[in-house]
Amino acid sequence: MASLRVYVIRRVLVAIPMIFILLGIVFFIMRVVGDPVSAILGGHAPQEQIERIKEQLGLNKPILFQFFDYLGQLLRGDLGRSLIWGQRPVISEIWDHFPATLELSICAFLVSILVGIFTGIIAATNFGRFFDHAFRLYGIITYGLFIPWIGIMLQLIFGVYLGVLPIGGRIGTLMEPETITGLYVLDSLLTLNMESFISAIRHLILPSLTLGIYLSGIYTRLTRTHLIEVLNKDFIKSAWARGLPKRTVIFKHALKNAFIPILTMMGLQFALLLVGAVLTEITFSWPGMGTLLFERITYRDFTTVQGIIVFFALIVITVSLLVDVIYAYIDPRIRY
Amino acid sequence: MKKRRWLSFLILSFVFLCLAPGMSFSLQTKPLVLGTTDKITVLDPAKTYDFYTWEVFQNIGEGLLKYKPGTTELIPGIAKSYEVSPDGLEYTFKLREGLKFTDGYPLNAAAVKWSIDRVMKLDLDPSWLVSAFVERVEVVDTYTVKFVLKEPVSFFPALVATTPYTPVSPKSFPEDKVAEPTVGHYGPYRIKKWTRDVQLVLEANPDYYGSPPKSRLFVVKFYKNAATMRLALETGEIDVAWKSLRPIDIRDLKAKGKQKVLEVPGPYIRYIVCRCNKPPFDDVRLRRAIAAAIDRARICQEAYKGTVKPLYSMVPMGMWGHIDAFKQEYGERNLELARKILTEAGYSKDNPFNIEFWYTPTHYGDLEADVAAVIKESLEETGMIKIDLKSAEWATYAAEYLTAGVMPIFLLGWYPDYIDPDDYTSVFLHSEWSPDMGVFYSNPEMDRLLDKARTEIGIEKRTQLYEKIQKLMAEEAPVIPLFQGVLTAATQPNVKGVVLDPVMLLRYYLIYKE
Amino acid sequence: MKYSISRFIVSNIIKNIFPRKGTEYFVLVGFILVLLIILMAIFAPFIAPYDPIKKVGEILERPSGKFLLGTDGLGRDVLSRIIFGARTAVLVTFLAVSISLSFGVLLGLLSGYTGGKFDTVFSLVMDAMYSFPGLILAIVLAAMLGPGILNTAMAIAVIYTPTYFRMVRGLVLSLKESLFVEAARAIGAKDRTIVFKYIFPNVISSIPIVLSLNAADAVLTLAALSFLGLGLPAPTPDWGFDLRAGHAYLASRIWWPSTFPGLMIVILTLGFSLLGEGLNEILNPELRR
Repeated sequence: MASLRVYVIRRVLVAIPMIFILLGIVFFIMRVVGDPVSAILGGHAPQEQIERIKEQLGLNKPILFQFFDYLGQLLRGDLGRSLIWGQRPVISEIWDHFPATLELSICAFLVSILVGIFTGIIAATNFGRFFDHAFRLYGIITYGLFIPWIGIMLQLIFGVYLGVLPIGGRIGTLMEPETITGLYVLDSLLTLNMESFISAIRHLILPSLTLGIYLSGIYTRLTRTHLIEVLNKDFIKSAWARGLPKRTVIFKHALKNAFIPILTMMGLQFALLLVGAVLTEITFSWPGMGTLLFERITYRDFTTVQGIIVFFALIVITVSLLVDVIYAYIDPRIRY
Repeated sequence: MKKRRWLSFLILSFVFLCLAPGMSFSLQTKPLVLGTTDKITVLDPAKTYDFYTWEVFQNIGEGLLKYKPGTTELIPGIAKSYEVSPDGLEYTFKLREGLKFTDGYPLNAAAVKWSIDRVMKLDLDPSWLVSAFVERVEVVDTYTVKFVLKEPVSFFPALVATTPYTPVSPKSFPEDKVAEPTVGHYGPYRIKKWTRDVQLVLEANPDYYGSPPKSRLFVVKFYKNAATMRLALETGEIDVAWKSLRPIDIRDLKAKGKQKVLEVPGPYIRYIVCRCNKPPFDDVRLRRAIAAAIDRARICQEAYKGTVKPLYSMVPMGMWGHIDAFKQEYGERNLELARKILTEAGYSKDNPFNIEFWYTPTHYGDLEADVAAVIKESLEETGMIKIDLKSAEWATYAAEYLTAGVMPIFLLGWYPDYIDPDDYTSVFLHSEWSPDMGVFYSNPEMDRLLDKARTEIGIEKRTQLYEKIQKLMAEEAPVIPLFQGVLTAATQPNVKGVVLDPVMLLRYYLIYKE
Repeated sequence: MKYSISRFIVSNIIKNIFPRKGTEYFVLVGFILVLLIILMAIFAPFIAPYDPIKKVGEILERPSGKFLLGTDGLGRDVLSRIIFGARTAVLVTFLAVSISLSFGVLLGLLSGYTGGKFDTVFSLVMDAMYSFPGLILAIVLAAMLGPGILNTAMAIAVIYTPTYFRMVRGLVLSLKESLFVEAARAIGAKDRTIVFKYIFPNVISSIPIVLSLNAADAVLTLAALSFLGLGLPAPTPDWGFDLRAGHAYLASRIWWPSTFPGLMIVILTLGFSLLGEGLNEILNPELRR
């Protein structure tokens, strides 16, 4: 176990400079190209007011100082305040929107894994035959699908023509469950509120299908490849020979061995999940981080945009860290 | 096998439950639900400077004076009455007695003075509506408050009806910074629950002096997307679809006839600004050529599907003093005149007038690119103008390019701060303010007329002055009006009491379901 | 006799053109799709029935004989806009991929070959960018740079540069110690010669796969930026932008202005990814299953 601990520590140490570099990139992009102050004040502001605000925000200092100030703030867990409207703390803007994104991401993730593994198994067990080719093609096509387009097509079919599912928002009017986790599905289950639960699920179906289908292709391909490999191994052949039922062989023996690569892919796919969530949210007016990011970019709310990116960076790095650690735990060879 | 059948039954019934459309659940009190694509930017009268949040303050707050619904006539609000001193410098308001903010703090002259002082001291976006006019506020006695003005202002009562003059409670609002408490207001409604960007739940304020709201519970749902809002209206999820349905949806709803569609001309105007202090538009001929060549009817028909009206003056239709100044000067559209002027200015088909035309793609709704495309086509129809369309996001557009004079000619829109012709003219045409709007126009004769109209008391004299101003504006064309917005609301057939008026702020407390 | 020989030749040619294995079909289909769209882009003015930025009919007309794919919200022909939209897509993708390719390969070669601090810093920066959700970075960049062909291409290029950088650097590191480079160094070849004459050709062979996969991604990224209104200024025909414009008519059951531009995005992306995937399996046979 000691070597695992060393590995984890080393892995964390590698992650730290990563965060700073990302911060640096974003900070300089935003400061070099635009002027936040006039964005806040609008066209009417007299010069002295501009100066006053600049001083207030620390924008009159050299840019390198500003960057270090910002880093100092971050270390204290402070993401600053929004530059527009009520100038709310960025962190509360993020917490307002993050649960929606999390809920969507989890559901889409489940959809993608279920669909991916299912289609992958079918393809692998029909190796070389029609279903194999069909699902290989599925694997390639889904990867090339454009999220807003799938979303719009689903909205057209289920929302407009069939009229059975809502095409935007998170839940029906006055149906929010009591806030416990901020995830409506979970909260409504915890408070045994069936009405909210059904409404939340109904609102989730189309967005998570959109994102889930987009992400499922890679799992289809992965499951297929590894299942074929495993199915050709001797121990599986002997399992067949022993006359074990097909289901047992595939689920108990073969799939278990294909699990590690799938897990790795989950980690690698995480950034794609976030990107997909941003587009899905905008297509479905889902009140999450993507919608927030897009809104604030339009208004040049620098601190909020920076905050969101920092937040995304932290999540991405944490998740890749977690996946690596789990991977190392399962497969000790990785710890070199 | 039995287990699996159960499982599939469960799954099937769940799918059915989820897909069953229009499922209605019983709620104790059925609220009235209004949808909008606008948002509450910041719920503080000292900071908020957008129409939608002002509308919310009309419902959770009340000014000293307010507009009588359906008109532009001012009636007493929390003030019973007021008097003006003969020199027009002092306005004394008598307040209603015994009112309390929703946090229990007494609403008296001291609270009014505190609120106004707070707005002036914070000195934020809308503060100029107070500080540009008010010298100081004095407490005469518990229920009497006096405003001393810097100079006589003929439209001061209209100013008092605006949101920055809405009193708030010193108990809930900090004196020195912006805050968004959900208590500490005084109006027909109070806030029950507010989930930012999702919904605002209002309930009747039991302490309100006037008649209680027609619907005890009122929910505002915030939409990011007009198509979603329209579907919500059609499925009955919302009772009223307010700002802003898209033109195509309005046309459709009208054609279907299942919901009611209400329309009135609003005070919202769109126009083209020419940068008058630098070439090429320091040449009045070129401005006139644009004014003559622009095809307003096509913009209204094509981009807006007929849901807005062509406008020929900066003072909107329906407001006193309005004349169709540009129509008198150029006609509805005059390509020949435009070509003639351009030829005089030295341009021809082989040597066209090349110009960058700017617009901003999202701030004015997603039809803006369409508007710009139509303008480009209509100007190029002269054969002597070549348009290069440019766009920038609103923040850059408004804050950087506009005041810096980067854009030679561009699209802009105007919502009034107060309901008076002055608010539609001085800002664009007076040499003191026109640089702020990117116009950079300066004409001493115009300044003189505007100053006179601002201080003159008496509507007839002011009307004459504004007619002169509009004629001069049409001749010089520093700004070119395009169209005037129409306020549209669509409601379920059983909804009553939606009063649309030029003040543009919807009163939720009048709306109810039969 | 003569007849049978010619038949033999023809059938052999056909056999060689039309592949038998599934994978080779993928490459062929991908290649055809990409080629068709590129041809469409080049010959747009000859193919398109109408001017894509002019009002040519009533607004929102249904698909009909006159307007095969209907008209959009401004009465412009959807088909013509799609055809001209191919120009935007192909041009921006080409620019973005070329920019990221040249920067990525150049920096990768330099960084990998020189090593040291320079290499450490560059690798860290590139790794950081690589691990971050690309589209989000592109959104921020595009918003800051403003609309325009070159600006959009740059925003997209930035997020794909690390891919090439990492690939090339890895190859260079392994090649640097290889025998033939050692040999070249031993006979006194200059660094520049070694990099460009010995290492670069070895790097080039693995580029086409990454290139076509990146092109697929770039098409999607461009579409996403345009969909968010951060791409090219109106009225340039642009699939992503048209999709967004069409989205607004959804509730009115007007499906054609959104369906077709979106379909084009999918087709072009599919073409590039089929091509890339197929090439990958053919060039790296050990991965083939």
